[in-house]
Parts: sequence; structure tokens; C-alpha cells
Amino acid sequence: MTAENKKSHINADGLFRQNIVLMSGLVTAPIIVAATTLQRALVLTLSFFAISYFSILICRFIPRKIVYTVRILLYTIVAAALFIPTVIGLRYLFPDTTKEVMLYIELTVVNSLILAKTESRFYLEPYGRMAVDVLIYIAGYAMAAFAAGFVREILSYGTVFGFHVCEPIVPSAKSPFFGFILVGIFAALCRAAAGRRVSSRKERGK
Amino acid sequence: MSNVFARIVSLAMISVFTQNAIFDRAFGANVAIYASRKDAHVVGFSIAITIMTTLASIISYQFDGLLLPLPYGDLLMPLVYVGIISLLYVIGLLILWKGFPKTFYKVKKYAHLAIFNCAVFGALFLNSTFGKGFAGYVGYGFGTGIGFFFACFLLNIANDRLSSEKIPKIFRGYPIMMIYIGILSLAFNVLVGYTADF
Repeated sequence: MTAENKKSHINADGLFRQNIVLMSGLVTAPIIVAATTLQRALVLTLSFFAISYFSILICRFIPRKIVYTVRILLYTIVAAALFIPTVIGLRYLFPDTTKEVMLYIELTVVNSLILAKTESRFYLEPYGRMAVDVLIYIAGYAMAAFAAGFVREILSYGTVFGFHVCEPIVPSAKSPFFGFILVGIFAALCRAAAGRRVSSRKERGK
Repeated sequence: MSNVFARIVSLAMISVFTQNAIFDRAFGANVAIYASRKDAHVVGFSIAITIMTTLASIISYQFDGLLLPLPYGDLLMPLVYVGIISLLYVIGLLILWKGFPKTFYKVKKYAHLAIFNCAVFGALFLNSTFGKGFAGYVGYGFGTGIGFFFACFLLNIANDRLSSEKIPKIFRGYPIMMIYIGILSLAFNVLVGYTADF
């Protein structure tokens, strides 16, 4: 296989075109409600990575012979088991922030990346490619979390990663309603960017 | 007895209006958007979620009392809740399979979406934090399901307009739906004069 062919196998869909927060809306609650600062975004991303990535890698070994109903249960049990070491680690690194966003870390156990994308995409790929593909999807989640965290932190607290930058301009930016509106606007921008990428690729093809 | 009933009703009202699962916490927002596209899904998902949150809250009340006082007991709660919901999910599917085979074949494709989602799990986690007493658990669990139906209904009636040609192409569908939910969430905040910390 040539280097060019190998490169074409790595699909960056998860970053923009199928971003799980901004395009498909599969995982939105933590970003809308809890990602109000960059530190919270970091904790949410780390927990999402630790629980989802390792669950998906481990659950790949669950035989496909087992009926779908039972497989789904096993996926959530594995994710719930991984939740324990993840939270112990996060409590050690970020005790206060982990406590603040704990509810949304707990909900990561039933996120759609584990319950839906595994069956429709990841488990149809070879193991190595799947491992990279999942990472790209998680990077897409991180991108959305940090973008929302950055905008909301600067608007509602006037800080960036806790460092004072300006006076708070929109204190209500940390409210859930602002989170919904912001994610909606980001989703439209992401859709426009993805559309532009596709049309420029088509033009290059001509 | 009337006190218990009053407590159930008042907590159910709180979880429908002041702490609506979708507008206040974004629990199951993606499932609500999916379900709101078809009338039948609104009803089906809402019934499944209401039954599940109510029954799971009743069972989780027993476990919360046992496990939460333990050191690191909170770390076991996701595993316990997954166990409770899995058990109810399997029992529900078996009842449908044996008793209502036609309905079973209709719903089996998306039953897991209605059960394993943030709305159901979120109700249990909120119960463990805020729920006080058995009546509180039942009221909050039941109200979460009714709140989901209420939110889904509001999304369903706007669905056609939000997908119409009048909406700019990049906003059509999911982005405008999020903005619409945001405006409804703002309206609820103003109506109630309350907002959750996060």
C-alpha cells in the first residue's frame, strides 16, 4: 500500500463533517450546561476521553453473536466501570472543577458515541483504524467544548483559564439557554465550514 | 397519605416546569430532537421515559440509602443505575415480546435510545443529590418523564417551521432547533425566576 493510500484511510469526518456536538448533536448536554469555563471544558474532555475511548476499545472484543439488546447493556456496564478510575484521577488533578461538573461526568457513561456510533461506524472498521477514528471524534468533542468554554468564560467571567482579561460582559453567558444558542450558532458555522470544504474539494476535482 | 401525594405532585411540577430535564439541564436534548420529528415518536419516547424514570427512581431509592453514605459510594452509583435500568429494559422488552409482539418489532430498533439516555440517568443522579424521601424520588422521577413529553411537544409543533425553506440553509434543522430550545429555556428561566448553577 502506498503512503498516499494509507493517508486516505484516515478519515477526519469526526472533526467537522460529523462532529458529535455540532453536526450530529449526539453529545450535547455537557457542552450546553457544564462547559462554562476552559477548565471545565478540560475536565469534561478528559473524562469523555477516558470513559468513551477505553470503553470503545474494550467493547470491541464483545462478540457480535450476542444480541444487540445485550451488547448495549455490556457497553454501558464497561463504561460505568471505567467511570471509577476516571473520577478518582480527576478528583486528584482537579478536585473543585470535578465536583462542579460531576453530574455531567456521570452522564458520559450513556453517551451516544459508545451506544450508537460503535454499532453504526467504529465496529465496522479494522481495529487500528477504529482506534484513530475514535480519537478524531473525541478531538471534535474537545474542539466544541473548548470553543464553548472559551467564549462563555470570557463573556461571563472576563477571564481565560482563570486569568483576568476584561470585565464580564454578559454574565448570563454561563446559563443553559446561552449554551443552547451558542451551540446552535457554532453548529451553523461548522456546517458552513464543512460545506465550503466539500465544494472546494469538488472544484479541485474538476 | 395526602401529604405524600401532595409532595409527589409538587415535586413532579417542579421537574416539569422549574427544573425541566431538557430546558434546564439539557438532559436528553438530542433524544428529544430526534423524537420530536414524528408524532408517534413523541408519544412512544415519552411513555418509555416516564415509565423508566418512575420505576428506576423507586428502585434506586433503596440503593441510594445503602450506598451513598459509604465512603466512595458515589463512585458505584453509575454501575448501580446501569444495573437497575438494564434490568427494567430487559423486563420491558420481554413483556412486549410475549404480550405485544407487533409493538415489540416496531419499537425494538429504537427502544435503547428511549431508555439509555441522559434524561433517564440524569433523573436518577438528580434524585440522589436533591431527592428527599420516597415521595420525592417518585415525584421527581415521574415529573422528569412528563417534562420530557412537554419539551418534546413544544419541539414537535415547531419542527415543520424550523425545517422550512424560509430558514437559511446553514441554520436549517439542528442549529435552528438548538437556538429555538435556547429561547424556550430562556423563557422558562424568566417565567420561574430561577436558574440552575450549571
